[in-house]
Amino acid sequence: MTKGLTTHLFKILFCLGALAFSLGCSSDSKKQIPKAIKVSSKKRISNSKLSEKEWLSEYNFFKKPLSDLQPKKGVFAYDLNNALFTDYAFKKRFIFLPDGKKMTYQNEGVLDFEIGSILIKNFYYPKDFNKPMDEIKIIETRLLIKEVDGWKPLNYVWNESQSDAKLNYVGGEVPVSWKNENQVYKSISYGIPNLNECKNCHFKGSEITPIGPTVAQLNKKYSAIKSAQNQLERFQNLGILDLPDSHPSLPKLPIWDDPKTGSIKLRANAYLDANCAHCHREQGSAKNSGLYLTYNETNMRRRGVFKPPVAAGKGSGNLEYSIVPGNPEESILIYRMKNNDPAIRMPEIGRVSAHKEGIALIEQYIQSLAEY
Amino acid sequence: MEEAILEAFILAKDSSTIQLPEGHYLFSQELSINGKKHLTIKGMGMDKTVLSFKGQTKGAQGLLISNSQNITLANMTIEDATGDNLKITDCDTVVLRNIRSAWTGKASTENGAYGIYPVLSNNVLIENCVAIGASDAGIYVGQSDQVIIRNNKAFYNVAGIESENSTDVEIYNNEVYENTSGLLIFNLPKLTRYGSKIKAYKNTIYNNNTPNFGVKGSIVSSVPKGTGVVIMATQDVAFYDNTIKNHKTSNLSVVSYEIFAADEDAREEELTDEAQLQGIRSVDSDFRKDSLYNPYPGRIQISQNQFENSYGFPTLTNEYGILMLLKNKRIIPDVVYDGILPKGAKLQDDQHKICLEDNGEINFVYMDAANEFENFSNDLEPFNCKLKMNMTRQ
Repeated sequence: MTKGLTTHLFKILFCLGALAFSLGCSSDSKKQIPKAIKVSSKKRISNSKLSEKEWLSEYNFFKKPLSDLQPKKGVFAYDLNNALFTDYAFKKRFIFLPDGKKMTYQNEGVLDFEIGSILIKNFYYPKDFNKPMDEIKIIETRLLIKEVDGWKPLNYVWNESQSDAKLNYVGGEVPVSWKNENQVYKSISYGIPNLNECKNCHFKGSEITPIGPTVAQLNKKYSAIKSAQNQLERFQNLGILDLPDSHPSLPKLPIWDDPKTGSIKLRANAYLDANCAHCHREQGSAKNSGLYLTYNETNMRRRGVFKPPVAAGKGSGNLEYSIVPGNPEESILIYRMKNNDPAIRMPEIGRVSAHKEGIALIEQYIQSLAEY
Repeated sequence: MEEAILEAFILAKDSSTIQLPEGHYLFSQELSINGKKHLTIKGMGMDKTVLSFKGQTKGAQGLLISNSQNITLANMTIEDATGDNLKITDCDTVVLRNIRSAWTGKASTENGAYGIYPVLSNNVLIENCVAIGASDAGIYVGQSDQVIIRNNKAFYNVAGIESENSTDVEIYNNEVYENTSGLLIFNLPKLTRYGSKIKAYKNTIYNNNTPNFGVKGSIVSSVPKGTGVVIMATQDVAFYDNTIKNHKTSNLSVVSYEIFAADEDAREEELTDEAQLQGIRSVDSDFRKDSLYNPYPGRIQISQNQFENSYGFPTLTNEYGILMLLKNKRIIPDVVYDGILPKGAKLQDDQHKICLEDNGEINFVYMDAANEFENFSNDLEPFNCKLKMNMTRQ
């Protein structure tokens, strides 16, 4: 607040600087705050349970053994151009459609699904990332179920023997370790979100929605099958999606880590869209920040350039702007992507470790902004 | 117990009450309520039910309530969250009663940002609460409409109480002391909504001289210590029947966003013309282009307040204090107005009027900050007026 006066007051300050310094160093901030009285109780708060399927196997999504994640009839595998980073976890995604039901094409935003449709997302870690099919440990299977009154998230956590996954509302932590592509051993305490954390990311406006299955995200070949077919066309051939008649160019996002698919700027926008824009959008839970990171947001100030924080608290890291072009080290965006402190890190939910490769791209992007 | 409470919150049925027992509970993760209607959560009292988040490893908030309607939270203490202690977002009709929000230990930059923090919410009542030790604001209402903040205490925070980009806010009977700054009524650019129509009355605001321990980069970190009340870039403010005393910089300041933005101008010069064409602009030019944002305070009525100061010499830790030393005969002003107006506007224009009435013998300063203090003045006469206030809540 006082900084604006600096220019006007420069001369005055010049004369008085030494005086101000010597008088201005009182310290009365070290105050003790009264502490609440310590007591304890073991009474249960509530016994309310909802009537959900207790085990993942009850849905009949997969052939036996369940842990092979081989879809039954009516369950369709898919993947995305850009996935949300969740501590390097691998993901296998499926769409369950009730008998004879289709998805409906949307040029923007997620496809429309009929009641009874279920999005299925399995999170797992191969023991060795260079042998991703060999020995895997499945951690959790997240469901989004389209019901009459909207989408409902549920989460199932896999047991140690990998025979089934059990309904879980409260989340938890699971130790996970793996050997990455560079033969480096990694281990983390993987965070399973609780039900409200699921909702937090999936809330748009006043309702829960899926995030991933947009045409721009689905417009690619399914990577786990070595077919030449685009998965949107595959869905059309399977009779579960009708593409618009003339579609020489369906929307398609560049792939953040594939330089052939777009410029640094476009790939950075795609990365930020997948990792941040579920909250940092006009109807997202972080709209109060004034930082908007959807792929199509063009206003650079809204994208963070010279944008001061609004209510970031410690998250600002003593820095003044979300993005300082040419200076990633002074950009709050990078500071928060690198940090693992729960009060500072971004995204707030879904990671306990930093995404080195993603950060490198966003650093390059911020550097490139100075070259205009 | 952590899981039991967490589960009770997550699975709470609409139109139900969760009664938290007496106890001091330590949580390693955030508690949350999402998408509920008509839910009451009660403890056994501020000193009896304590939810502590000291050392939490998951979630940024202590308690987060989002996308819910008709929520009452009462009778408990929430303390030591890594981020905000109590955050309410995207809610309608929320009552927060007898809640203590505290960071225990020192008033430190390491403390979480907001103590009690409703944002993007409507119809919010905060009463009989206590907010202590926040490294930003103790009680902070942001981008919200229809808010009452009454009978609360806020101390040892950077900002005691802050209303930001909020409309139809009433702030009364609060006791706000020993913060860096007591009460902030702010409007910031480029947010989802802008605020106006604020009534602040019968508050006691004193001794807010604590050195600023805010995180650099945050708006409050640039608020000088010793500022009792700051009204910034807000229109339609009725400030009356308050007692404001013993501040080392000023008891009450009325300022424009330009005071902040002057700093941004410097950054803008670093950008080339081509960058400007690419749409990269600093805050400054951007907020001027935003037709919905008004960076100048206006229609401010300051009446029947009691101003006092036991300090006889301004603090020299900030430029304001030094300015008063040089220009104001070393007197700490009771009311200071920066006098910055949009081009071509006059102080007498109705939408820019600042009116003071019946505040007793006060030291008033018109800074004329836009013109290098050329017409710096103590003359209260041009500002002695009474506005017909445009309030929704009468």
